This record gives sequence, structure tokens and C-alpha cells, in this order.
Amino acid sequence: MTALRSGIRRTTLALPVVLFALLALAAPGFLAPQNLANIIGQITALLIVSLGQMLVALVAGIDLSVGSVMSLAGSLVATQADPLLGIGLALLLGLLVGVVNGLGVAVAGIHPLIMTLATATFLQGLAYLVLPIPGGEVPASLRSLVNGTLWGVPQPLLWCALCAGAVALLLHHTRLGLHLFAVGAQARSAQLNGVPVVAVTVSAYVACSLLAVVAGIYLAARVASGDPTMGASFGLESVTAVALGGVQLTGGVGSVLGVVTGALSLGLMTNGINLFGISPFLRGALTGVLLLAAVCAQRRKVVGL
Amino acid sequence: MQPANAPVWRRLLRAALALPPAYAGLLVLLLLAAALRPQLLSAMLLPLIARQAAPLGLAVIGQSLVMRARSIDLSSGGVIVAVSYLLTSGYFEVSDATAMGLCVALGLVVGVVNGVLIVQTRASSMIVTLAVSMILTGIVVALSQFRAPGDAPEFLRELARLRVGGVPLPVLVWLGALVPAALLLRYSAYGRSLDAVGSNPQAAALSGLPHLRVVFAGHVASALVSVLCGFILVGFVGKGSITLGQDLALNSLAAAILGGVNFGSGRGGMAGPAVAAFMLTFLFNFLTSLGLGEPGRLMLQGAIIAAAALVYSRRR
Repeated sequence: MTALRSGIRRTTLALPVVLFALLALAAPGFLAPQNLANIIGQITALLIVSLGQMLVALVAGIDLSVGSVMSLAGSLVATQADPLLGIGLALLLGLLVGVVNGLGVAVAGIHPLIMTLATATFLQGLAYLVLPIPGGEVPASLRSLVNGTLWGVPQPLLWCALCAGAVALLLHHTRLGLHLFAVGAQARSAQLNGVPVVAVTVSAYVACSLLAVVAGIYLAARVASGDPTMGASFGLESVTAVALGGVQLTGGVGSVLGVVTGALSLGLMTNGINLFGISPFLRGALTGVLLLAAVCAQRRKVVGL
Repeated sequence: MQPANAPVWRRLLRAALALPPAYAGLLVLLLLAAALRPQLLSAMLLPLIARQAAPLGLAVIGQSLVMRARSIDLSSGGVIVAVSYLLTSGYFEVSDATAMGLCVALGLVVGVVNGVLIVQTRASSMIVTLAVSMILTGIVVALSQFRAPGDAPEFLRELARLRVGGVPLPVLVWLGALVPAALLLRYSAYGRSLDAVGSNPQAAALSGLPHLRVVFAGHVASALVSVLCGFILVGFVGKGSITLGQDLALNSLAAAILGGVNFGSGRGGMAGPAVAAFMLTFLFNFLTSLGLGEPGRLMLQGAIIAAAALVYSRRR
């Protein structure tokens, strides 16, 4: 039962391992400690936002607004002198976006792709309003949280572990976690069995937006400044990572481990492109190919949206 | 006489209320513009705005064919960027006519790929078309590192500037595409199948209608329409650009919903989306004249899509 629910298959686990082995053999300098630290630093934001995407995918939804939420969160912390105020504003924003997305999908019955595309466009405009051009400065106290090591462990790895741990705890040790799976598997049955479907759906979108805020703060702190289009590519990349990790976009099937392997695969691919000196612009094209492959592997019943 | 007239009057009112939001929106906008920025309604600017609306109007025709079959096409951004590159980069040293032929072939390939992936592997149309757009854009951006975009073919620039009887040619192309599309929807077997598939795909499939072929045909048509939009846009701008037509996909989605086309609902015909395309273009011009910048435009665009989707989901 748990095997079915996690969606993890041998291919899911094998992909990052094979990629790692290939890069270790073929790319000089791949195993250098500096390069490995780079990979972890690059993957962290994608992993955090993909964890949120998985929570939404569990209730058969999708959130394309995570990219804009990341950009906006990064812009907010880069323009506020007080780090606590910046983080507070960003989290409040995440909460609001999640509630709007969740209510639009669960109460108004708007298709999640349309709903989150609308909020994504709106928030992109808001990000340009907060920070018209890349710039601003992230407070030093925040920057010290993402660079360097703590107790000998690279700090980005701690961010990953913290977020993955929190989501795993939510999924497997809380009532809400159980309800997420129930709603995604069969919303109507869940409703008849007394699961508050609307509240569960809204919670999934709120958690997703909050994780996107965390990813945005992390990314801004890492590059030390804000950029109103910083997160633009993460919307589809997180969907790719989630789909590669065996999470079913039709709901009810997914796991933290799957998302970790999916994000790792995408991150290793990006690193390989850098190491082999391939144009970084082809990265988008390659992500698109991976996304197509991952989505086409999940055959659905409906045709269309 | 009065009692006999009342039901007619009331029926007219009810018909007006049932119209897609685009009509009321355009009316309000025109009144607002007449009060605040009357120069927008001048005989010089109105045809220019209509000319600017032509690519969106064409894109909406393709989008509405797809949306009526409960699918969606967001790949126009990538197709247009690729068309712009094929026409202006000089990468393939061929005549302009051959380059345009290549563009049409590209549109055909994109449409077929979209259609096959959506119909055969049943992947989500939104994700498939976004991914295809991402692949095309990525390849073009990577290629343009080595070769800066050049000028558009001379005759495309000429055609974009040409006026027939005071009406810009792109507007005539738009209207010329609208009429056959509307006739096709209303009187052809394809149009009838499209309505049936949209209102209930399962019932349509069980009744022996070519359910999958209808969706597939919509995607091929929509991709070809995107190529046509690319020709017109390249003609407008006069040179290649990697940002050309990037907001067309979202705007065509907004215009289709505002024009009364909802997923699986055939209301609004072809006139509704056309009015919506003009309305959106007029709106962006009006707001620019009021000093609204890029942030405001994006926020408004998002709000319009959400509001239109909300209105339709409430009515259902």
C-alpha cells in the first residue's frame, strides 16, 4: 500500500544514480568538493519549491504561481532593511496567495492551471512594482544563513533537511497528511467520509506558497540581492522535478523521497550542462524535454487540460 | 400595444445580459475613453489599434477552437519566436518564400507534436504546450547567441503597412479568417462534433464521434494560426526579436474566456472572442495613455483572467 502511495519505482531512484555515475566518469572536476557544494547550493531552492508542488499535486492540483511567489519574496527581503520585517511580509504574502489559490480552486471550481496562471501573472506584476530592476541588498544576517557550514555541514543542506523533514512529518504523522492523500485519491469519497475537502485543499495551496516563499528567501540570500524575475523558471521546473519523482499529477500518489530524487536529477543535469560547456540557454529546452517525457509517462484518463 | 411589446423588450434585455463580458467591457471602455482620452477614438488611432489587435484576434481563433474541445494551447510564444528566427536570422541561406514555407512546416510539426502528445499519451495540454514553447524558446535563444537577428523580409514589412481602402491589411486578414472560422463552426460536421465533444467528451466518444481527432485538429489549426501571427508580428516590428509575441498565449486565453468561450462551452461564437481581442488591445492602449507601466499591465492581465474564469465557473 505504501509502495503504491509513494509512487517510487526503480526508474525513479535509478535516474539520479545513473546521472551521478555518468558525470563522475565523463566530466572532469565533477567530484571536486567545490563542485559538489555548488550542486547542493543550486538544488536547495528547487527542492524546497518542489516539496510544495508535491503537496498540491497530492490533492490533484498544480501551482504555476510558485515562480512568481519566489521572485516576489526575494524582492521583498532585498528591499527591506530589517530582515525580520522582510521575512514577515514575504510569509504573509505566501499565506495570502495560498488562500486565494486554494479558494479559487476548491470553492469557485476554477481549474488549478488557470487559477494559478492568473495569480502568477498578477504577482509577477507586483514583483516588478516592488523591485523594478534587479538590485537591492539582502541583510547580512540572512546571507550568513545560506553560505558556509554549521557543525561541519554545508548550510544549504540543512535548509533541505529541515524542509524535507517538515513535509515528511506533515505527510506521515499528522491528520492533514492523511487527508491530503484521501482527497487526492477520491475527493468525493473523502467528502462522504467526513474529510473537510475544501479546508484540506486550501491548506495544500497555503503550504505550497509558504515553501515557495522559503525558497525565494533562500535564493535571494544566496545571490545577496533581489531580482523580479528570479523565480520565473521554477514554476515548470518544480512540476518537472515532481513528475520525475513519481508524483502523480492526478493526485493521491507521491513521496518526499521521490521529490528529492526528481530535484537531484534536474540539478545534476544542470551541473552537467555547465561542466560540458553547453550553452546555458539550452537548459530550458532540456528541462522542457524532460518535462514532456515525465508527463507523458503518466497516462491519464481525460484528454485535454 | 405596451403589454405585447414588453416581453420583446425583456427578451432583448435578457439576451444582452447573457452576452459574453467582452461586449459590456468594450462599451464601458469606449465610454471611459470618450470621457478621459477622446483622442484614442480618433479616425487616425482606431485603425492603428485594430491593426495592433489583429495578431491577438487571430490567435484567439486558434485558442477558441482548442478550448471548445476542453484543451488549451500555450505554445504560441515559442512558435512565434521560432518564426521570427527563421525569417530574420539568415541562418538558413534561403529565399524569403522558402523561409516562410519552413515556418509553416514548423507550425505543422508543433501542432502535430502537441496533438499527438495530448491525444495519444493523454498528457495535460497546458503542460505539453508550455513545455514545447520552452523547448523552442530555449533552442532559439541558444542559437541567437551566435547570430544576431536581422531585418524582416521586405514584403512582410510592406504588407503590415499596407492599407486597403483605409483599412490596414492585417485587420482584413483577421476579418477574412473570422468569417470562414465562424461558418465552419456553425455549418460543418467538424463544428458540430466540436460542440458535442466539448459539452460531453464521453458521450461524444460513445456516440461514435471522432473525439480524439477533433482535439488533434484543433491543436494543428492553433499552431498554424500562431505561425500566421508570427508573420504579422515580424512584419510589424521589422526585425527579429526573442521577446516577440510572448504575451500572446496568455492574452489569447484571457480573450477567449472574456469572449464567452469556456472549456467545453461553445457560447460566444467567433464574434465574442474577436470583440474581446479588440477590447483587451484597446484596454492596454488606454491604460498606457493613462501612464500605466509594465507592472500594472501584468497585474491587470492576471486579475482579468481570474475574474473571467470566476464569472464562468459561477454561471455553470
